Amino acid sequence: MALIIDNKKLSEGIFLMRVSSDLRPARPGQFVMLRPKGDGLFLSRPISVMDCENGVWTFLYKTVGKGTEAMSELRPGDEIHMFGPMGRGFCEVISSERIRRAVLIGGGMGIAPMYSLAKALRKTGAHVKIHLGFTEEPILRREFADVADELMINVGGYVTDDVKFDGGTVFFACGPTPMMRAAAGKAREAGAEMVVSLESRMACGLGACLGCTIDTTLGSKSVCKDGPCFRYEEVTDLGK
Amino acid sequence: MGNDLLRTEFLGVQMKNPVIAASGTFGFGREYEEFFDPSILGGVSSKGLTLEPSRGNRGIRVWETPMGMLNSIGLENPGVEHFRDHEAKNMRRLGCAVIANLGGHSLEDYVRGAEILNDCDIDILELNISCPNVKSGGMAFGTDPVQAADVTSRVKSVTRHPLMVKLTPNAGDIALVARACEEAGADGLSLINTVLGMAIDVKAERAVFDNVYAGLSGPAVMPIALRMVHQVAKAVSIPVSGLGGIATAEDAIAFIMAGASTVQVGASTFRDPMAMVKIIRGMEEYAVKKGLKNIQDIRGIV
Repeated sequence: MALIIDNKKLSEGIFLMRVSSDLRPARPGQFVMLRPKGDGLFLSRPISVMDCENGVWTFLYKTVGKGTEAMSELRPGDEIHMFGPMGRGFCEVISSERIRRAVLIGGGMGIAPMYSLAKALRKTGAHVKIHLGFTEEPILRREFADVADELMINVGGYVTDDVKFDGGTVFFACGPTPMMRAAAGKAREAGAEMVVSLESRMACGLGACLGCTIDTTLGSKSVCKDGPCFRYEEVTDLGK
Repeated sequence: MGNDLLRTEFLGVQMKNPVIAASGTFGFGREYEEFFDPSILGGVSSKGLTLEPSRGNRGIRVWETPMGMLNSIGLENPGVEHFRDHEAKNMRRLGCAVIANLGGHSLEDYVRGAEILNDCDIDILELNISCPNVKSGGMAFGTDPVQAADVTSRVKSVTRHPLMVKLTPNAGDIALVARACEEAGADGLSLINTVLGMAIDVKAERAVFDNVYAGLSGPAVMPIALRMVHQVAKAVSIPVSGLGGIATAEDAIAFIMAGASTVQVGASTFRDPMAMVKIIRGMEEYAVKKGLKNIQDIRGIV
């Protein structure tokens, strides 16, 4: 059983929800399937794990439809259906052991998984620089500053404009498709290694329904099970 | 669950219980292993197979609806030969009845696919003449009694497996199609496949799905499915597997009362990965409470 600890509105339509659950801990980049109780929603929603420590799970989400709107109405003590964690995290794509310098790029709600990734990478001794991009007011600035060696914030522009891509650093990106395409273009140019975390509509969240199939250089893959983290160059949609 | 309350014989196959994971919702049987051991199920029906591997449809593929969902997967699958060489053996190890679901775009596809499946150790061949999400063939075979009978008799003449034909609710008269399949040699029937539906993105002023129409499933379709199972079970003498929106033990029991020998659970597993476990447990509790010797005692009582 998962219970809401708190569900705070950070800015218009953006919420930070903490949930207590004894599910096995998530690795950075994994997601869970969440569904508020009741008959209002049929399917669960895949939501990226921002943080997961001692049974406390933190989720950052934006209200974009019926599911997230219902989620935003949850109050402390309310029950929520939650299963997971699901998928392949960032460090199952590139092992953290071989990362000395990492640059994490998050745009919009794509900043969420960068938080636990930054924490994990710094534990292994890597230097972590975080770039966050927002269209309007920045959120969680202090929280991200606490887990980064360097933090850069971009408001209203292209977060990727601030990022210097180079071959000796491992890059991680999560955000809207145009941001991901721009990052992929720059990584390709610089010959940099980069892991991206993708988003998709899902029904099952574990590779059974095939609702989230994407084209990759290795054939069809499920975002939920084979991802959501991929090497950017494998993802056909991130272009040549 | 070590007793015989739910034990069911279906098309000559002994099953622990009448609960089958519906095609297209349970992969090849391993996807939900983290949640429960698939050997507790009566059976698993494979992802719909086609002669050639298929990438499936482009664009949005799943869409939530009031207590249900639309899907437009389009039979993404690795092909019958890949199934024969890989998944079939793995499915046999699941420890429950193995059903291979075969789709097709032409009569020849179905026949050739069935021939290839003769090389597999499966229990039942489920002939999918009801997929609404492929452009050619698929559902077209299931909406017309003459074509349904034709493909059934052709496949029956080549397959060595018990043949169950999966029917579409999008036929004019499903009982007519059911009788045609029975006369053509089907050993059993499963119904319903998804109901043809549609979603429009009002903001974008266009259809949500690239294929425009898609298949509706989930509790929203259950009353339709139940009515059709009731009609078909009365119209034929071969066993029927009922499906369409089953989410609880009570739903499953209703299908059996309507005349189904087995039930299949699909979309509800997406909502709750433990749905089938709860359904099996609930059916058993019901059988105990009602003092039934076997769950089949209530088959067709309505």
